[in-house]
Formats: sequence, C-alpha cells, structure tokens
Amino acid sequence: MFQAKARAEVLKEVVNVVSSLVDEAKFSVNADGLTLRAVDPAHIAMVDLSLGKDAFEEFKADETEIGIDIDKLAQFLKLAKSDDIVDLKHDEDKRRLNIVVGDITRRMSLIDTTGMSDPKVPNLKLDAIITIKGEDLIHGIRASETVSDHIALIANPEGFEMSCEGDMDQVHFRKSKKDLVSLESPSSVRSLFPLEYFSNMLKAVSSGTHVVLHLGNDFPVKMEFTIAGGKGAVRYLLAPRIESGD
Amino acid sequence: MGIFTAPAALLISVEPFTSRWMDLSNFSRSQAMIDHSSLFDDILSLDDISSRNSRCAYCKGSKLLCGKDRCPVLARFFSTNRVRGKIDRLNIDGASPPSVFIGRSGYPKVSVGPMIPPFHGDTSLIDTPEKWVGLPIDDIIEFRSSLVRGMHQVDVSDVENSNKLVTRTRELALARTPPEVSAEFSKKPQGRLTLNDDVQPFGPSAPIRKFDISNVKFDRRLEKAFYDTDLLAKDALVSLYHEGALLSSIQRAFSVGAFGIARRRRFVPTRWSITAVDSQLGLRLLEDTKTYPCIDDYRVYETVSLDNRWAILMMPTSWRYELIEAWYPKTAWNPHSDRIAIISDHEFYDGRTTYAQIGGCYYAARLAVNELLSQERRQAGISILRESHPGYILPVGVWNVRENVRAALKNPPKRFSDLNAALVHVSAMMDIPISRWVKNSAILKDALYQRRIDDSWG
Repeated sequence: MFQAKARAEVLKEVVNVVSSLVDEAKFSVNADGLTLRAVDPAHIAMVDLSLGKDAFEEFKADETEIGIDIDKLAQFLKLAKSDDIVDLKHDEDKRRLNIVVGDITRRMSLIDTTGMSDPKVPNLKLDAIITIKGEDLIHGIRASETVSDHIALIANPEGFEMSCEGDMDQVHFRKSKKDLVSLESPSSVRSLFPLEYFSNMLKAVSSGTHVVLHLGNDFPVKMEFTIAGGKGAVRYLLAPRIESGD
Repeated sequence: MGIFTAPAALLISVEPFTSRWMDLSNFSRSQAMIDHSSLFDDILSLDDISSRNSRCAYCKGSKLLCGKDRCPVLARFFSTNRVRGKIDRLNIDGASPPSVFIGRSGYPKVSVGPMIPPFHGDTSLIDTPEKWVGLPIDDIIEFRSSLVRGMHQVDVSDVENSNKLVTRTRELALARTPPEVSAEFSKKPQGRLTLNDDVQPFGPSAPIRKFDISNVKFDRRLEKAFYDTDLLAKDALVSLYHEGALLSSIQRAFSVGAFGIARRRRFVPTRWSITAVDSQLGLRLLEDTKTYPCIDDYRVYETVSLDNRWAILMMPTSWRYELIEAWYPKTAWNPHSDRIAIISDHEFYDGRTTYAQIGGCYYAARLAVNELLSQERRQAGISILRESHPGYILPVGVWNVRENVRAALKNPPKRFSDLNAALVHVSAMMDIPISRWVKNSAILKDALYQRRIDDSWG
C-alpha cells in the first residue's frame, strides 16, 4: 500500500535525479519513506536516493515496490506548478499509479519490477572530502563542456581543482581551501571521469545546495547533496576512466 | 593531339625536346585541380587527431568542402570511364531494372525520372545492390554506367502531379519486375558516369520529354502501402521490411513519395532516401535490441571486399556503436594525402542527436548489425573497423557498407573471452595497429579505459 500527497516541486526534483541515469526505475516504499537505487545501462554510474516521509504533505505506506517509467512521470509533472499538490495512490490490483493534479487524473500503468536488480553499493575508501557550493561546481563544468569528453577531479591539502584537456584546448578550474565550504584532503588525489555523466548528475542540484565530493586516486567519486529542502538525500557514484599504458 | 598544338614559342623554349613534354602529357586534369587545394588542407582541419588531410573523407563529394564547383575526386573518373559513346541518341528503349532517380540539387524543385539501360531482358541485377557482394568493382561500374537517367523537374511536394512523367516514374518505382520503357529525351544524354558516396553510380542523364512503360507488374506489398494514405511512412517501411521486401525496393518506393499520410507525401532525393530508410529501420530494430540480454562473449566477424577489410567487433555490453573508416592514400576519399585518414562516429546507449559526420554509411552499418542482434535477440556493444586499401578507387554507394557488413555477419565469428584477445585477432587482420584504431575510437576507449561501478574496488 502506498498513498501520499506531495508538492510537485519535490517530485520534480526526484525525477530530475533519477532521469539523469535511467529511463525506468524501481522505487522501494516503506512506512518511513521512499528509496531508490539504480545503475545506468552502461554500469558507469549509480544513484542512491532517499526521501523521508516528512518530505511529503501526507504519507501512508506499507513495504512495496513501484516500477515507474520516468519519462511518463516527468511528462505528467510538467502539467503541475511547483506549489501544486500531487496526489499519488498505488493501485496494486491493477498495477497502476493513480496521480491527481488539480482536475487531472492520470492512471499510469507500472513497470514490472521482478527483473530489475538491486545494485549493491560498493564499499569505497575515499580519502578526500570536498564540500563546495553547487553553483561553483556547475560553473566549472560549464566551462569544460566544449573542451573534452572527460574531466579530472583533483584534490590536495591546498584546494580542489577540475581539469579538462582536449586535443586543442585546456580548461582549469581551481578553488583554494578558503573558497570551499570545507576541505579534507590529507594527500593529493586525482581521478578522471566522463564529463557527460558528471554534468548530468549536477542537473538535479538546486541553487543554494552544498555538494559533497568524496574523491580518491583512480577511484569512483561519490557525490552527495540534499533535495526537498533537506528532507531527501542523493548519493551518486561515478566510475573513473583509467588510461593506462597509452 | 591537343598537347602538341601548343604555342610555337613554348615548343622552341624547351630544349632539348625531352621529358618535360612527357610530364605535361601525363599531367592529368585531376592533378591540376588538386594541387591548388593544399593551402586549404593546412588551414581547415576536420580530423585534428589523426590527419589534417581528411577533408575528403568527411565530404565524400557531397558538400564540396574544397570550394570547387565539382568534386575533383569524382571528376577524375569522368575521363577514365570506358563506356563512353554507348548511348548517344535522343530516344532509348530498354527494360528498367526497375530504377528511378530523384535528384537533390535545386531542392525543393528536383529532377525526377526513370533510369533505363539500352537493353532488354531481366535487368533487375542493375538496381539490386543486395546481389552485388562479391562482384568486381569493374562489373558494377560497367552495368551501372549503362543506366541513362531521365530528368523532369517537379516540386517535391507535388507527388499528386498528373503529368505522365511523374505518375509513370512512380509506377516504375512500385514495379516488381523490369518493365519495358521507351523514353524520348529533349537533348542527348550528357555525362558518362555519376558517382557519389551514398548512391550507386549511374550513367549519362538528359531532360526527358516523354516515356512509356508497358508490362508493369506491381509489387503487391509496395502497392498496398501506397494506397494506404493513413499509414505513417515510418510504419510502412517497417512493415514492408518485415514482409521481406528488399531494402532497395523499399527505398525506391520511398523516394517517389509512395508512403506516408496522403498530404505529407514528398519526393525524397535518392541519396537522402537511402539513409532515411537505413536509419529508420535501424532505429526500429534497435528499440528491440535494447530490451534483449547481452551477448556472452567477445566476437569478431570479418570480410574482405573491393580491397576493403572489415572487422566487426561485438562486446558483451549494453548497446553502443561506432564505425571507424581508415582511408589509405590513393583510395577514393583520400586522394591528396600521403597519410592514412581515419574518421569515425559513434553513439552510446541513448543514441545520437546529430547526423553522423561520416555520412550514410554509419546508418547502413547500424542497420546491418541490428539485423543480426534482433535475430539473435541479443544486445551488444559494436565497433566496426574498416580499412580501405588502394584497390578501392572509387565510391560505389552506401550499399557497399550495408551489404558487406551483412555478409560478414553471415559467417561464424571468432569468439574470445576478453577484449584484449579479440583486439589481438583484429590486429592480425588489419595493417593499422590497434593503438591507432583505439585513438580514433570512442567505444574502444570506453571499453579499455572506463571502469564500471560494479568492478571490484579494493
């Protein structure tokens, strides 16, 4: 059983996070709220999202799984203004999610979740922890987008750096420790990542949000930030690119 | 003898009468045209990774990037074609394979019309590229250059035009067997051989005054789609394809605007129609491909044809695809350089949003690999490597890519348990070292360098 009311804005944030990696997703629901864990088709990135029940206006649920076509949901949510209340009701017998916004009701048939795996979150030891303003990070990525298709994230005790080297041009983005929200980097670390993925992950970061990056040497990066005014949490993992012996 | 009627002054100044004259006489028209372009080669760089001189490989005669009004690479072949003078008259009759041609210059006012060889009988082979794999390049050029193209100008949206030239062109495109055609031109057919990268070569062309066709047997399947004016063109393509209609016949009917919602029907220039059909059918198959499980191992399919070597590498990953073409010096699309030009285009799981720079061949090969995958109900990541050696002197059309990839996929593949072993095998059949292929490859780089989230992170 799942029955809830939420502000459209909150649901839009969730859709933004999930659609950056997958088209279809399995949401797990229980009395405390909603969680989702998914890996993109290429197995390069993972998203782990949780939304507490207090992010909703009303929330009632037993443990269940709901498979949603994210595009469909996104399309429907476009009809709602940020402040509109969206009414969600899981119809288990008919395998549908009934969504009401104002005068509109959409009966959305759900995806069969039996074949959808539960990805395991790898256990990673990442030494450097960088907390940076979301806007700053997005700014640095915009600067890199036309230059190359991958980007190096670098941290050392003095600061944080993003470096993008194409065949013709190079872009460097540097923030010293004092310009970051916080920085813990006992040594110097560097990993290279596919830029498109990294940039997609930032799409769901709303302004004013702090982003926490956990970084290692040729290791995946873990990116954390909150959604729904702090009542939801997003963790992304992105696998590095390792150009050995070329 | 033109060369020896040079001004007397020049004759006198050359002393003694030696090899300079020989040089001049060997100095072919194409060389003269090409030399001027070297300046631009240095300035304009389209493939900054591997070679500066690959402009031709991207253009393939279609964009005239060199700034000339005719492609010098193609122009070279107008003078060397051996079938000249065969069709030097105002009327021609013969059995059209069937074949039609829709030009693209002047769009939306384009030239439509039949293509007719000056002989009778079963000419169907001439316009059925599906049957050309294994034929020597000379034979293909020979029979294609016998096709005379009739031209009648019409607006692309005017498919309902009641002019007999238009309706008969359409009837021809819907025919199943070669109908008898007799045509009357207002000028003698001009030109000898028309070549470009997408379309099969064909012979001279002339404005057509009238033509008659008799003995038309319509292809029932094409006819049905033609009369269904509520059926989307896309759906028509797909259902005809699944009914087993040949791609070349679907494309022919597509080009005369035989499919689609009635008021939206258009003539489609032949070269665009080929890629439109390849692309649409490929996308349709790909929708299914993406729902299937991955293949279990690494596979390499291979073939050699018209001095082109093909290796099709399949990897047990989600859908991704690329085509890398390496043009040796002196091949069709690398005439000026002494270096190998390598060009490539790719897509990952979500596909492309822009047209592939390397052109129609990208879509032709994508269709071919998806045919195999959908037949096996499997998904894979695919990298196609093509090494084009100097025996490939002139472009014969996109069919060459599609049919050779299809042919390669008919043979049993070599199977490998890891990527490195597969690449070692590929490197044994290609001259270009693997490192250079990787440098020009997005898919191989991803496979070799991009780690996965489920790798072990110790």
